Amino acid sequence: MLKCRVIPILTFNGFALIKTKQFATNARMVGNAVQAARVFNARNVDELVFLDVYASDQNRKINLNVVRSIINECYMPVGIGGGISSIEDIHNLLAIGADKVILKNVMIKNPNFLNKAANIFGNQCITLSIDAHKVDGEYYLYNRLGKTILLRDFIQHISKYNFGEIILNSVNHDGMMEGFDLDLIKMFEKNIKVPIVVVGGAGNPEHFKQLFSETSVEAAGAASIFYFTQYTPQDIKISSSNSGKPMRIVNQSYPQVN
Amino acid sequence: MIISIIKYGMGNVASVKKALDKLGFPSVITDNPDEIRQSDFILLPGVGSFAVGMENLHLSGLVELLTDEVCQRKKPFLGICLGMQLLADYGHEPHKIKGLGWIRGEVVKMQLPDHLRIPHLGWNNVQVVGLDNHFFSEFSGKDYYFIHSYHLKAKDSEDVVLTADYGIPIVAAVRKNNIFATQFHPEKSQNAGLALLNKVIKLNAQM
Repeated sequence: MLKCRVIPILTFNGFALIKTKQFATNARMVGNAVQAARVFNARNVDELVFLDVYASDQNRKINLNVVRSIINECYMPVGIGGGISSIEDIHNLLAIGADKVILKNVMIKNPNFLNKAANIFGNQCITLSIDAHKVDGEYYLYNRLGKTILLRDFIQHISKYNFGEIILNSVNHDGMMEGFDLDLIKMFEKNIKVPIVVVGGAGNPEHFKQLFSETSVEAAGAASIFYFTQYTPQDIKISSSNSGKPMRIVNQSYPQVN
Repeated sequence: MIISIIKYGMGNVASVKKALDKLGFPSVITDNPDEIRQSDFILLPGVGSFAVGMENLHLSGLVELLTDEVCQRKKPFLGICLGMQLLADYGHEPHKIKGLGWIRGEVVKMQLPDHLRIPHLGWNNVQVVGLDNHFFSEFSGKDYYFIHSYHLKAKDSEDVVLTADYGIPIVAAVRKNNIFATQFHPEKSQNAGLALLNKVIKLNAQM
């Protein structure tokens, strides 16, 4: 049976790991990316996501040396995002061992690029990052391109293209640690046929339990909970497993292969 | 002993090499016929579409070479993900195309119950099938990382050694003589994956 995934999200500012609240610019610095990757690998996490969140804004490419150092720590799948805008960018990331590339601005500006990339690399490695911003009861696609896009229109539009997964983040819930935006997920889970990774708002293991029980989603991403609480990914998975959800609980006594 | 990891432009070679390095197996990423012939073990990784995978193998002249080394000379072989699918007679991604034909069967799009998402993406446990597959019994029940939208429908059930359940039965691994291949990614499956790689390589290679 397919297990629900719990995925730490590392957000990077080009220099260090940071954690935002509601995407505000006064982010808190939370550590070193390579060290964090090493810890999460040792904790046998299901998957890891690394996002250089200001690469596009600052008009720079993701630092391949940093990405390589992160991937070298990981024996689980790794998704990489930030400033990816060309076939060459994707090729460079896959060549150093990335399993998925996470696309955002290019998906808004030129969705045909998704099909082009999927034809070359397979759609399984093309992940879309969709940031939902709720304003006056209506969800919009958050972006820093100056575009006003209704989220339900965008999801309908983008589902015609070829990709393998969606990371669905709530701007309003980001860093607040008060739970996932279940309304958002319930609104879109039926319209999306690919796997969805829900992000934004996790503060304790109950939030994951609630997400996996009340929606059809099988993957959740989180950051703050791993920086600001005592909970590990394994704690979260044991909690959801105890409530009957299929989780991958790694037996720590499994022999280490050297 | 040296393992050749076949380079044909279909992704994830770096991850495979990293896993082999960790296990202490010398390996080389190559499309050089001499290097492949001189190696003791052939590993065919790969992600992407069936059609592009076969096209790239043909373009680099590797189809005849690999078939000769693996099927005639019986060199130990491990295929991973697309590297397993390409062993089939035919693939259908995006249209019907001839595969290597080492394992009888076809690779088709998964027809799943409505509530299941596609691709089949994430960790799923595998089960040993077949009576004399004791070799794999230690891996039964372990979770491995899958990511695929097409799956192998094997004609000869005795070729199938591991299966997974995703609403429908999924062929997770096949074995036929010196040929072993997995749909999942052992190189991305942490200790359970490294243990499987270690066992398959040690069994097949003269150390």
